Amino acid sequence: MAARHFLLIPGRTSKQGQQINIGKDEDAYLKMTTTLTMHVDDLKEMGLAAGQSVRVRSESGEAVFAVQAGNIPRDMLFVPYGPPTCLLMPTETDGTGMPTSKGWDVEVEAITS
Amino acid sequence: MKNRADLIIYWGGNPAECHPRHFTKYTIMQKGRFIPNGRKGRTMVLVDIRETPSAKAADVFLQVRPGKDFEVLTALRAVVKGQRVDAAAVADTGLSLDQLTDLANRMKACRFGVLFFGMGLSMTRGKHMNSAAALTLAAELNAFTKFVAMPMRGHGNVTGADVIMRYTTAFPFGVNLSRGYPRFNPGEFSTIDLLVRGDNDATLVLGADPGATMPQPAIRHLSQTPTIVLDPKVTHTSRLAKVHITTAATGITAPGTVYRMDEIPLPLKPPLVGPYPTDEDVMRRIREAAERKAHIAA
Repeated sequence: MAARHFLLIPGRTSKQGQQINIGKDEDAYLKMTTTLTMHVDDLKEMGLAAGQSVRVRSESGEAVFAVQAGNIPRDMLFVPYGPPTCLLMPTETDGTGMPTSKGWDVEVEAITS
Repeated sequence: MKNRADLIIYWGGNPAECHPRHFTKYTIMQKGRFIPNGRKGRTMVLVDIRETPSAKAADVFLQVRPGKDFEVLTALRAVVKGQRVDAAAVADTGLSLDQLTDLANRMKACRFGVLFFGMGLSMTRGKHMNSAAALTLAAELNAFTKFVAMPMRGHGNVTGADVIMRYTTAFPFGVNLSRGYPRFNPGEFSTIDLLVRGDNDATLVLGADPGATMPQPAIRHLSQTPTIVLDPKVTHTSRLAKVHITTAATGITAPGTVYRMDEIPLPLKPPLVGPYPTDEDVMRRIREAAERKAHIAA
């Protein structure tokens, strides 16, 4: 299956906020920050099963995530902020002091092997 | 807000997940002096590009197409002023002119409106232009009623850092003191820009974990130059630092002040006693040692 373009929206979740205070080394934190949420029809279209690994590339870098279906519009992805999103985050701040932290154009491809 | 706001708008924010006490303590659920019926006396509007858990709490949910917030805000400003707006241009934003007209009417008719805007507005494409459009809309609504705007800040006590920087240097962040007086220039003196360009040759990290949150080139620079971290815990940043000084946890084993998002300072009383020094103790001792060294050198 060829790579597909998506708009990635990294964000906060309540569970992630709690887990930051419990510990970022815990398996739970690692799991939530490496799980991408995708619309179920996009998941089907890409021939992906829940839990399958995908490689996500942005203009800044790449990272590997597991996918799950969830309540998100088509062509959009959600993932809680964490070390994997640091690899994808752009560095340009446009003179504001903060890089664009949401709405990244990314390419997603299934990892087959 | 608690006592007066009858229209509450969240734009590009998801308080149900990110500020879980906001609804219940400060906005929609509270009974206020002039809002005796609490939730029934208030209207909540949520504007976002996706249906977040906050949508369940909203009376009106407006789903904007990604990257179209600036256009929606600008069209809304025109509708509020009674100017002619092209319905086809509005449709390109994912909303209809009827939806914008309804929102504009609600904004003008309320007694006290609040626009809370989150990172979905301020840190997506358009950034400061989006924030400026939101602030201008709120300012212009004061021709019709009382209206305020407030950012929904990301991390805990980031407001506190802004407040202290403002009253000590006159600027909230991105301040350079190397000439002995404060100079403000986001994009030049702000942390991520300095680290990504490699402009600084040492870093002191206080109460933050940039090693788990910043872009990778900034993290790389932290690991390649002397970094000192003051933190109660081992973090991604403390692992890449040359020096990690374990400090007391503010509000647990150390006193301190936390600032609410509306800049109200709240003093913290530590319920426990701990073995570690406070951040303030460590900073004072570093400064005294540096002054002694400078005195000897002189």
